[in-house]
Amino acid sequence: MNAVEIRNLSKNYSKKKAVCGLNMTVPMGAIYGFIGENGSGKSTTEKIICGLIPKNGGRILLYGRDYKNHAVRAKVGVLIESPGCFPSLSVWDNLMLEAENLSIKDPKREVMRVLRLVRMEGAAGNKYKNCSLGMKQRVGIAMALLGDPTLLVLDEPLNGLDADGMRIMREVFCDIVKDGTRSIIVSSHLLGELQKVATHYGIIRHGKMIAEMTADELDANCRNFVSIKAERMDVAEALLARRYSRVERDEADYIRVYDALSAEAVVIYLYENGIPVTEVKTQKINLEEYYIDLMKEGRD
Amino acid sequence: MTTSLKFKSPSFSRRLGGMLGVDFYRLFHTPMFYIFLVIAAIIPAMVSAMTMMPDQNGNTMQPLYSNVWQIIAAKEPLYVINGIADYANMNMVFIFGGIMVSIFIGHDYKSGYVKQLFTTHPKKQDYMLSKTICCAFAMASMCVSYLIGGTLGGILAGYSLQVNVPSLIIAILGKMIMSLGWASLYTFLNVIFRRYFGISIASSFFFGTGILIIGVAAAVENFALPDAFLNMFLYGASVNACLQSDLITLLICGACSLMWTIIYNLLGTAILSGCDVY
Repeated sequence: MNAVEIRNLSKNYSKKKAVCGLNMTVPMGAIYGFIGENGSGKSTTEKIICGLIPKNGGRILLYGRDYKNHAVRAKVGVLIESPGCFPSLSVWDNLMLEAENLSIKDPKREVMRVLRLVRMEGAAGNKYKNCSLGMKQRVGIAMALLGDPTLLVLDEPLNGLDADGMRIMREVFCDIVKDGTRSIIVSSHLLGELQKVATHYGIIRHGKMIAEMTADELDANCRNFVSIKAERMDVAEALLARRYSRVERDEADYIRVYDALSAEAVVIYLYENGIPVTEVKTQKINLEEYYIDLMKEGRD
Repeated sequence: MTTSLKFKSPSFSRRLGGMLGVDFYRLFHTPMFYIFLVIAAIIPAMVSAMTMMPDQNGNTMQPLYSNVWQIIAAKEPLYVINGIADYANMNMVFIFGGIMVSIFIGHDYKSGYVKQLFTTHPKKQDYMLSKTICCAFAMASMCVSYLIGGTLGGILAGYSLQVNVPSLIIAILGKMIMSLGWASLYTFLNVIFRRYFGISIASSFFFGTGILIIGVAAAVENFALPDAFLNMFLYGASVNACLQSDLITLLICGACSLMWTIIYNLLGTAILSGCDVY
């Protein structure tokens, strides 16, 4: 049984198709990185899963039941766009409110638990409107964690968090899914951070899922490239471009050769052409680069 | 190791209890409710004091009321208003109440809290019902506050206390019962205009002042239709709760309030179920 199973989902805003024929599978115990450009349909899909907007077609199952089922939806934690908090209430009151909503038996204890998880116990008395962006985001995550949800839907949860905040969230996410039943859907543009925690990925473009894979599959899909520094870089780049189909200069001023068989072959080729290589390393493209490549292919 | 998951469907009472818990927690933890209680007490006290104040020549104005209790309910059912005294009674609570409900529900959407509510509560009727009950409680509390303010103000202004006690009690109870119907109307209006805070407040005021029903009443006068027709509407039934009230009045208030609560809740649920809620 999967945590989320979406088949042929569609949603139109008047004539604009926001989501068209989307298929998505989030296994139990997964941290599902949901990636896509702005306006690609991520938030719309997440809002449909949470019942905030009605779908026009398709089928959504949460833990094998219809997504409108009370029992399952009562166990969904959500953070979409921004935390749904009342500015004039304190952090504590906002969380107590959500605890009431979830009919939690010992709300004070539960609120303290989630505040400790996001390291906000010292700021419980602060009015929400006086919190910094990062603190607000932590409150939003704490709110989503109330009542021990089995499915978390988090839209850009890492926005505004400092390095320590991101580390804490990574730990929290990993802790949630460790028993293999709870799952998290995280959409984020911070792909480097996402890659540190995600076990599965879904890449959406123009309302359609263009790729779905596990972290291992992504690793296998990510190509190696040879990164070099040489004397007379411009000449070296021109020479390599003649021999290899994809040669690029990166922001650190390294020449990247994507389709070389080995680093040795590149070094020997340049040496034979009178250009000594000063630095060489073999690297793998990361999620961000893979994603950009995928988007480029789509555009081409 | 994978542990098995068990999902327990929450009962209707548990769902509604959760929603009501949120609404009442919010109501009691925001200053707005207390401010409106104070307003509801001050307005009638001010009106009664003003009506007894001497004019520029030192002459006392013609008293608007003949006793304290007319500040609470009119002498007779006045569907068409001729002067301030016809209007300045507990029915004003339904106008303040409209503004309060608009702010209360408007903030659900403005703050984004509805995302939490509708994610965990797929049935939209829970939301309609909970808001109606909570706002009706707030408006009924404002009625009590109005009663205290109006009575004290009237006594201080020197109005007589003579009244037919059972009729007065029925009139007060009738107006408190009408709070439910008015709360459902305002909840419905705020669901329609959920994205437009200003319009929702304006529409609540428009309906609360009974402008529509006054227009209908004028038509009724012209076409010589019975007043009983007006009692089917919230404004008409609210006006009907006056110092001539009897048990029939209470029945009319109860039936009218309940009927519109059901209608507005069904309509509101249908709108929320078919539209984007956030």
